[in-house]
Amino acid sequence: METAIKTIDLVREFKTSKGVFRALDGVNLEIPSGMIYGLLGPNGAGKTTLIRILSTLLLPTSGDAYVGGYHVVREASKVRSIINLVSGGERPGYGILTTRENLIYYAMLYGYSRREAERRVEEVSQLIGLDEFMNKRLNELSTGMVQKYSLARGLLNNPRILFLDEPTLGLDVENARSIRRLIRRLVDEGYIETILLTSHYMHEVEELCDRVAIIHRGRIIEEGTVEELKERVSSHVIYELTLQGSNGNLDFLRELDSVIGYKVRLSNVPGEARLRIIMAYEDISRVISLLERKMYRVRRIVRDEISLEDVFLKLVGRGLDE
Amino acid sequence: MSRILDALRPAYARAWVRIRGNMRVKTWLLWEVVLPTIFMASVIYAYHNLDAPRIFIGFVVVGTMMMNFWFNVLWGMGNVLYWEKETGNLEVYLLSNRPIYMLLLGMALGGMLNTGIRSLAILLIGILVFGAEFNAAGLLPATLVFLLTLAALYSLGLMFSSLHLVYGRKGIRINEVLGDPISFLSGQYYPISVFPTLLQAVASLLPLTIGLDGVRRALLLGEGMENLYIHLAGLGIMTLILLPLGIWILNRMVEKGRRDGRLIMRWL
Ligand SMILES: Nc1ncnc2c1ncn2[C@@H]1O[C@H](COP(=O)(O)OP(=O)(O)OP(=O)(O)O)[C@@H](O)[C@H]1O
Ligand SMILES: [Mg+2]
Repeated sequence: METAIKTIDLVREFKTSKGVFRALDGVNLEIPSGMIYGLLGPNGAGKTTLIRILSTLLLPTSGDAYVGGYHVVREASKVRSIINLVSGGERPGYGILTTRENLIYYAMLYGYSRREAERRVEEVSQLIGLDEFMNKRLNELSTGMVQKYSLARGLLNNPRILFLDEPTLGLDVENARSIRRLIRRLVDEGYIETILLTSHYMHEVEELCDRVAIIHRGRIIEEGTVEELKERVSSHVIYELTLQGSNGNLDFLRELDSVIGYKVRLSNVPGEARLRIIMAYEDISRVISLLERKMYRVRRIVRDEISLEDVFLKLVGRGLDE
Repeated sequence: MSRILDALRPAYARAWVRIRGNMRVKTWLLWEVVLPTIFMASVIYAYHNLDAPRIFIGFVVVGTMMMNFWFNVLWGMGNVLYWEKETGNLEVYLLSNRPIYMLLLGMALGGMLNTGIRSLAILLIGILVFGAEFNAAGLLPATLVFLLTLAALYSLGLMFSSLHLVYGRKGIRINEVLGDPISFLSGQYYPISVFPTLLQAVASLLPLTIGLDGVRRALLLGEGMENLYIHLAGLGIMTLILLPLGIWILNRMVEKGRRDGRLIMRWL
């Protein structure tokens, strides 16, 4: 299989007031073309930094990266001619102009004449389904609409490789779903060869991506298809518990050898919390007695299926969004 | 030929955006025609009370017209680039693989056209309402001086925009510091010969001062090329220095942004 993106020992450091901060710490990735590839990681993991380097907006401190076979530093302009980047939660464009006018502007940057630009914008808007708000001003669009508009913008130059940085950031369930469906279509129907998307939503990556890399503190800590990654924790045991009572720290759970990681979410019932716990072997009875000793009441115990989230729990010991 | 057209396309696109946007915001009429006209009227009235010769009406009209462009350079180039960075537009632009100066050329052309229309309105008001009189023979040299003044001014704007990229929001200070003092120094409403010699010397280094003086000599006194070549040469040299320097600095700034990660840090 052809390689769309390759990085070799990629490092990016930032100078901060507290010294040098390493946002990427030797990233090695090989992303085959023809798929949606997910980069999954918590806040500050280095996802955006990596995407910016790959899209030539940021220079690496050391190491190499190739996009479509071109070196991102030495052949930056060749890279730019085959890529595009869409960042979620951003609204580039001119607020008092309409969606159509903004897209025409961007299309002209890519070398289309005025007339060709209009045609290209029409094509893309059909594909994305922008019709209803083509004549609306950009500053009148809702977040969901803006995201579709941005996606359309990212397609104008017919890129081979598309980078999507948190494409569903800040969207409600409905809009997020519709964006995900669009993204899937782009690759399935051959509009885009390869998509690299970042996310810190597990289910998004699980639903959308053919392969996944998990990035944590600037390092890739796991890589493979969603199935492969799940396979790696398949011998583990996962439970969801509903807890009531003492609302403190659950770190005492780590005293148990069996416990690899856990994650707590507040439930929508006040005073209740959901505990997701991953264990190397079946040991739930000791977990429960330990919890009860610490004044927790365990309301519900469900043995759960393995998800990508558990892979992260296993690798890092805590949840993605903690 | 088609290569040149293609290279200029981003500038055209950006100018198009600016002109479209401008047409949509109606308050420009107030800020850029009505208010300057009121100022112009009050200055003309003051001169009138001083029993100044009629030629001063034309003098003030030219000053008001040309000063519009100076404020357009300050507020329509420098801090606009900063704003483009903030909204993420600059990144999208850079991804399109086009040189950054084409973006600024587009802003400049769009700004010149918008401001030109307003200045024309002010000129017409000057002639029809206040009875300003101009020497038709000076039209050609005046136009030449005027165009070169724009070239020098907008080259200066190019340099300001890199300052704004570096200093971010604080860049607005630059505009406040430079705006009124320069229109004062350049002699918007009075001849700079009223200043002490040192101030005159400083003032004559500003493209705006030279441009105003040249256009006034041509339009009011009917002076021809034989008297204005120094103005033209001065403005030409300024452009030849400021333009490449501005482009160079701007490119450096973008490179620095890629190195330091500043292009992505919106709040810096
Ligand atoms: N220009 C910069 N200067 C200093 N530090 C930076 C800069 N850009 C990023 N960082 C730091 O590098 C780390 C990685 O940031 P990055 O934006 O790549 O993370 P991310 O995985 O995209 O996170 P998020 O989910 O929050 O978007 C963060 O700790 C961030 O503060
Ligand atoms: Mg990010």
